[in-house]
Amino acid sequence: MSFLIQIGGSLVAILVLAWLAHRLRLGGDARIRSEEEARVLADEAIHGFDPVAIAIDKAGMGALCRDRQGRVLLLRRHGSHFASRLLDSHAHARLDRSHLTLATSDRTFGSVTFDLGSEAPAWAASLRRVTG
Amino acid sequence: MPDFEPVTYVIPLFVALVLAEMVWAWKRAPHAYEPRDTLTSLAFGLGSTISGAVFGGFILLVFLWAYQFRIFDFGPQWWAVWWAWPLCFVLDDLAYYWIHRVGHRMRWFWASHVNHHSSQHYNLSTALRQTWTGFLTLGFAFKLPLVLLGFHPVMIAICGGFNLIYQFWIHTEAIGKMPRWFEAVMNTPSHHRVHHATNPRYLDRNYAGVFIVWDKLFGSFEPESDEERIRYGIVWQLGSFNLLWAVFHEWVGIAKDMWRAPWRHKLSYFFREPGWSHDGSRETSAMIRARWEQRRRAAQERVAAENSIAEPREAA
Repeated sequence: MSFLIQIGGSLVAILVLAWLAHRLRLGGDARIRSEEEARVLADEAIHGFDPVAIAIDKAGMGALCRDRQGRVLLLRRHGSHFASRLLDSHAHARLDRSHLTLATSDRTFGSVTFDLGSEAPAWAASLRRVTG
Repeated sequence: MPDFEPVTYVIPLFVALVLAEMVWAWKRAPHAYEPRDTLTSLAFGLGSTISGAVFGGFILLVFLWAYQFRIFDFGPQWWAVWWAWPLCFVLDDLAYYWIHRVGHRMRWFWASHVNHHSSQHYNLSTALRQTWTGFLTLGFAFKLPLVLLGFHPVMIAICGGFNLIYQFWIHTEAIGKMPRWFEAVMNTPSHHRVHHATNPRYLDRNYAGVFIVWDKLFGSFEPESDEERIRYGIVWQLGSFNLLWAVFHEWVGIAKDMWRAPWRHKLSYFFREPGWSHDGSRETSAMIRARWEQRRRAAQERVAAENSIAEPREAA
């Protein structure tokens, strides 16, 4: 019985703390605002990843980075940080004017839609060269 | 025989300290917390408590069985042997160091321990982000030598509880460095930030629980440097707040890898280090670190060469 009370009390405390973190607006609003920032994030994701081309989502929610070897790194916002995956196929890429929707074979990573403006068609075309 | 679970008594203190750190974050570092991350971490803690209650009894039974084969006997009133307590605490911490080290170097153990590292944040809620699947790794076997030495399983459990309590406060960015003498002996927020970092220079370092001396003794110590910003989490960040995926993702990853691998490599995906692959398509921590060291050396040599060219030569 006391164990159940302990579990119930812990559950209430967890919900209160998470609610409080939300109320205090903790976490902030992470965005990629420059190529330099995207470059740093790419290097943090894969040590030594040196992009030769970068496309940043207009709202700064993520970016695409291509290196000399043709690898394309997808950076997307995750909470107040960023998470990344190497694109392993072009099968999940969908172009809708300036919007490019992307996903990887890692389904739990989800799909993202970036507004890349006039760069979107060129990036969509280049992704056809990406293979797993 | 004492019936005492120290962790149970400090849960309200844990909650109060998380609350205090949130207020600190609100005033000084809003990025230190993220509501969904906090919710996931705390839910991990609750699930871990339930898992511990279900499977902890089994481990205690194994220890009690092994206790009959003990080498030394502290007598029927073993809890009254005062010097056995600090000795047990130190040896338990040594056992923890090795459990933890293997937890990072063998994918079987890592599948469980990765849970504690999968947050990109480093705060007191991260401390509560504990595994649900620890019993699958048989990590408790590392403590069997203590039982065989004669320490009663309950004494080991109590010391382990205090060890866990100590490790709570070191999961914070709110504390810089402690006094030098303390940093030299004890595990501290600074040392443990290194452990949670994914920067290549910090990978697989500082496994200590309470005493950092084990890392210094066994060659796994790395001090925190002011040279670069720490990035927390795992090499390939999870990118999901889904609790069940966060709990089981590495077990699923092992199963998928073993399924796809050629027969002779299947077990290596279980027993070898995280990041190992039979076709070299992935990188282990050691490989990432080696690549970082190679680049750093090359950069240093380049700077040294440029300096030697720039230096004015003396007249003959």
